Amino acid sequence: MAQSSKVVIVRAKGILSTTQIDLKRLQAMIIKGLTWLTAESKVERAVEKIFSPSDRVGIKINTIGGRLLSTSPELALSLSTVLAQGGLLERNMVVWDRTNRELRAAGYSLQTSRDKLKIFGTDAAGAGYETEPLSFRNIGSLYSTILTNFVTASISLAILKDHGLAGVTAGMKNYFGAIHNPNKYHDNHCDPFVAELCASPPIKDKHRLTVLDALVVQYHKGPAYHPQWAEPFEGLIFGLDPVATDTVGWSLIEKMRAAKGLPSLKEEGRPPFYLETAKSLGLGESDLSRLQIIEEQV
Amino acid sequence: MKRRHFLQLAGFSCLPLSPIKSAAGLLFPLGQNQANLSKVEARFYEKLPDREIKCNLCPRFCHLGDKERGYCGVRENDGGIYYSLVYGKVCALNVDPIEKKPFFHFLPGTQALSLATAGCNVNCKFCQNWQISQVRPEQVEAVDLSPQAVALAAENNSCPSVAYTYTEPVIFFEYMVDTSIAARKKGIRNVVVTGGHINPEPLEALIKVVDAIKVDLKSFSEAFYKDYVRGELKPVLEAIKLINQRKTWLEIVYLVIPTLNDQESMIRQMCRWLIKEVGEDVPLHFSRFHPMYLLKNLPPTPVSTLEKLHAVAREEGLRYVYIGNVPGHKAESTYCPFCGQLLIERIGYKVERFELRNGRCRFCQAVIPGIWV
Repeated sequence: MAQSSKVVIVRAKGILSTTQIDLKRLQAMIIKGLTWLTAESKVERAVEKIFSPSDRVGIKINTIGGRLLSTSPELALSLSTVLAQGGLLERNMVVWDRTNRELRAAGYSLQTSRDKLKIFGTDAAGAGYETEPLSFRNIGSLYSTILTNFVTASISLAILKDHGLAGVTAGMKNYFGAIHNPNKYHDNHCDPFVAELCASPPIKDKHRLTVLDALVVQYHKGPAYHPQWAEPFEGLIFGLDPVATDTVGWSLIEKMRAAKGLPSLKEEGRPPFYLETAKSLGLGESDLSRLQIIEEQV
Repeated sequence: MKRRHFLQLAGFSCLPLSPIKSAAGLLFPLGQNQANLSKVEARFYEKLPDREIKCNLCPRFCHLGDKERGYCGVRENDGGIYYSLVYGKVCALNVDPIEKKPFFHFLPGTQALSLATAGCNVNCKFCQNWQISQVRPEQVEAVDLSPQAVALAAENNSCPSVAYTYTEPVIFFEYMVDTSIAARKKGIRNVVVTGGHINPEPLEALIKVVDAIKVDLKSFSEAFYKDYVRGELKPVLEAIKLINQRKTWLEIVYLVIPTLNDQESMIRQMCRWLIKEVGEDVPLHFSRFHPMYLLKNLPPTPVSTLEKLHAVAREEGLRYVYIGNVPGHKAESTYCPFCGQLLIERIGYKVERFELRNGRCRFCQAVIPGIWV
């Protein structure tokens, strides 16, 4: 995983106020995020800094929340468009999650054509899970072959949400959808499981970029959608350091909770403990004061 | 096993039965099938505010938000109602000798229609059936079998019992209970093979409809349960006590894993507890471990270790102690604890000799506890 602890927040005020998301504006947000993150002025150079042209890139999204609270299809498709502008081949990209059913329910149209961007779940024909479990620390799981066989580089394009057990679900916990048995890893606030999963070779060796979908943030009673506790933030959060990016996402949720008079996750006894564990495993920086946070608008 | 074999077994075909495969032979490649999930409201859960629920079936007490699944992976909160996703979704179905469960004092020499759905409420690193127990129901192929169809299949296949086994039957509690009721209506008995992670209230409900329970006691150490089972020992011991108090036939299996749970002192402690709480007549099976799942770095249990622990248990006073997974070993057989005569000779899962008459030793007339044919 990348070592830079720079995190970029890009907001586009009003992007949700129209009936359809302005894709050009969304792409502009992504370009701004990637260029600031890599300190490059052009998207081609930014993409080149993160990926090699021959990479097969997996965009792991989170569709467990259905159409109302999943990584939005507009965002996933915009990201693939920007990456293609940056020099990657669309046919070498796959937008993926656990199942075709969940992808459809979240508004995605499945695509498996050889020459196009692909969108499918691990349960699609030709995909599936590895047949032998990989044992790493406390993790023992079958990994999606999309991650292990198809892709050479991985993006976690997660939706940012409060999570009753984990505290926060963001870029790191999104990889629970890359294994066959995530239900086994929710004990003890998902700690150390989220961190150890991300430290396991299939993920650690391929993860390159985290992008958090914070267009609408479920800041309380997640991960399910509760409209009374979901707030439009109209932002995206970018980071090469997965721990730093999720730490910034957590701080955003805490700010929203404080603004609504809700107790903090720490006060509720469920801060995302796994971030500290991830830091101890060398995955990144969980100390907010040590992060370089850049806030931009489009 | 192909779908048609399931259907044959279930009695939906007049074709003769195909050879029965082992549980491992029933597995399907993961990720190649469409979801086949039930939506039957679960029992033993509480509705909470904001569409949350708390499951009271097992000692995990999963507290789940909307759209979340329990640790077992087969029970899901949908809009504040908790559902079983595996009711009638059978992923493994066999006619097995009852000795394979193992039950040695329950209808020996008979066959049990044995079934499972996907899922488990623990995560043993040494699981022998992990391909069906440690997966979500979407990840294995399943066939729809109603409780009535299971009872009919048992009858058609001359099975005097239905066994809920292979995975962890507690997680398909609703289906197990309803099937047990349907089987009993046909005079067929029900046996459960479980890790014993179940709360007292549902266990009481289960005991009312089943005839025998085999508990896998995986260690006598909480630390072992935490590290290798992802569960707790205490509720398992409570379940064993309750099963015994209700006079449901009980047998205990202990899988002996080299270096991890084979300490003589711990076995002595466990045997003393069993004698105190359950009695000296409870059958105890020491099973041989084979490297599986996440514990492939250990060798199979040496037979000498099993023999040593067998001797320890006998020394402590347990009367019916067995060695399992060592075909042909003399400790597979039942001996009269009073006159020492061989009463039930077993080779593998086959009963070769049966010297009980009306539940008594044919030689000294001592009563041998069990449910006999």
